[in-house]
Amino acid sequence: MSNRFSKDAAEILLQKFQAGHVDRRGFLTALAAVGLGVALRPGTASAADNEVVLCNWGGAAVDAFQQAFGGPFTAKTGMKLVIDGAGPAIGSVRTMVDSGNVIWDVMDNGLIDAQVLSGGNYVEPIDYSIVDKNKVPGFSQEFGVGNYAFANVLFHNKKTTGVETLTDWKDFFDFEKIPGKRTMCKWIQGQLEFVLLADGVAPADLYPLDVDRAFAKLQPHLDNIIFWEGGAQSQQLFRDGEVVMGNIWHTRAKLLVQENPDYAITWNQNTLLISAWSVPRGNPAGKKVFEFINSALDPEPQITLLRLMGNGPTNPAAEALMTDEDRVFNPTSPANTKGQVLVQPAWYAEHEADVQNKFLDLIAT
Amino acid sequence: MSSRFERFALYLTVPAGLLVILLYALPILQVLALSLTEGSGALANYERLFTSRAVAKVVQTTLVVSVSTTFITMVIAYVIAFGMIHMSSGQRKLALLMVSIPFWVSVLVRAFAWITILRSQGLLNSGLMSLGAITEPIQLVYNRIGVTVGMVHYMVPFAVLLLYANLTDIDRRVVQAARSLGARPVTVFFRVWLPMSLPGIAVASLFILVFSLGFLITPALLGGGRTLMIAEYISVQISNTGRWDLATSLSTALLVVVGILLAIALRSPAMRAAFGGGAK
Repeated sequence: MSNRFSKDAAEILLQKFQAGHVDRRGFLTALAAVGLGVALRPGTASAADNEVVLCNWGGAAVDAFQQAFGGPFTAKTGMKLVIDGAGPAIGSVRTMVDSGNVIWDVMDNGLIDAQVLSGGNYVEPIDYSIVDKNKVPGFSQEFGVGNYAFANVLFHNKKTTGVETLTDWKDFFDFEKIPGKRTMCKWIQGQLEFVLLADGVAPADLYPLDVDRAFAKLQPHLDNIIFWEGGAQSQQLFRDGEVVMGNIWHTRAKLLVQENPDYAITWNQNTLLISAWSVPRGNPAGKKVFEFINSALDPEPQITLLRLMGNGPTNPAAEALMTDEDRVFNPTSPANTKGQVLVQPAWYAEHEADVQNKFLDLIAT
Repeated sequence: MSSRFERFALYLTVPAGLLVILLYALPILQVLALSLTEGSGALANYERLFTSRAVAKVVQTTLVVSVSTTFITMVIAYVIAFGMIHMSSGQRKLALLMVSIPFWVSVLVRAFAWITILRSQGLLNSGLMSLGAITEPIQLVYNRIGVTVGMVHYMVPFAVLLLYANLTDIDRRVVQAARSLGARPVTVFFRVWLPMSLPGIAVASLFILVFSLGFLITPALLGGGRTLMIAEYISVQISNTGRWDLATSLSTALLVVVGILLAIALRSPAMRAAFGGGAK
């Protein structure tokens, strides 16, 4: 799902640019640089000595990543960052590594993806002699290291619910006090957690997730829930007045609040997902990629990405360098982390495929 | 009379044929191969298609939605096509243009347009409410109704064109003969038009049904996550859950079922007449 999130963040950025909220010159400069980069994209044999190829989810994220991570990396090491927006889907990584034709050095994936890929021996372990794991305490794993964070937040329309502020996820299921349709994501990462919290499970006891209990809690309310599958759709459901409350990504919540003060975010009990850098097995740049990763974990690039795309920094040192404006919608700033639940990649790496299918079966009529 | 020109014309189709083999036939064979080797092996993969309750539910939803889509589409399309063959040539050109307009609009745009019309505060519901016809909005989208509406809208132009071609081929002298023997218009329709257009109806229905089985975007958007059809299920297994064993065996099974449907249909005289009719 972090794939879906990353793509969605890029869409938001593109819309901002189109609406004139992002500096045009910066956007075009980056575009030109990247266009050249893509044209020079190395084949396997001819990978240039001095570059690292990053694969992300394309669109506006190509330019944003170049600006946030490419600039500082080149300034520091003289090496160039080339971005391929093809999208490191698990299936693509698998095909690429199997064929022995690896052209990416580093991928923008989730911590969960990194763990799943490690199961098939498709990723290299992160070299922590080069990458300083102290930059991202708690987010460094054997095969992936956290590059940004995003949150699923409780979100509602103050007018249509008639409620100024919500308390926690219990309100999501309180149809008596607050009637009206809800929305949640049909991809389960970070979703079962909120259902269990609403059912009274203590945050400390969430894992391993009690799937049956979560399903039983959801079952009676399915007719009152619309399931979104992409960020744009979740935003549209609120704009259309189709739902009064929901669980949506913080980036989409931010856009809604900014366009209409009737909306409100409840940060309490948000579920935090961590995206990650990972390295496909047999990457062309070899160990040099870890210098890139190390540089990309610095606070400054992460703040640039927060400003461009809304993705939250994983490096706590970023907090002190942010403006108050940056902090308002950042899921890792202290004001927004009350009751926050960190989604556990290990559980999803093991159970996601199975539970996702059961979940689709549950919600299908 | 296999002239040089005919041979030349045949060669012209070679690039297209090669492309089909390269881009279509080979990948399908690869899917077939994967369905035999992925996961716990061929037998287990295909056995699960028959034992899994989830798969059964998805198949059932797909069938119900596809069959009702086909039925509704055929009724609407027959009315339009029947009207068109009775128009003057100018009117008919206009009608053909209007039937083709939806082809120019992407399936995504159409899905979102339907959401705008059908949602609870959308055009239709607010219109009906201001007329006093209903007091509460009717749930027309994010369920099976919405999916069916979207699919019917997509399929009607195809069905109209297929039926129109068939209906224009019907010998009008038979109709005149029936009228001259005193048959009333209703009788003429049911005893002449309808029986003689059965081959066209059969071809168009089959086409619509086969097409409907593979819908992906329309159910995903208009179904609100709650109408899960085969194509979306397969796509989730490929890109989301990584269950390629399930995805490839299900797609192979779908392909085989469609193939069998077509094979049976082609054996029926009505179908053969319809396909043979074009060759003359």
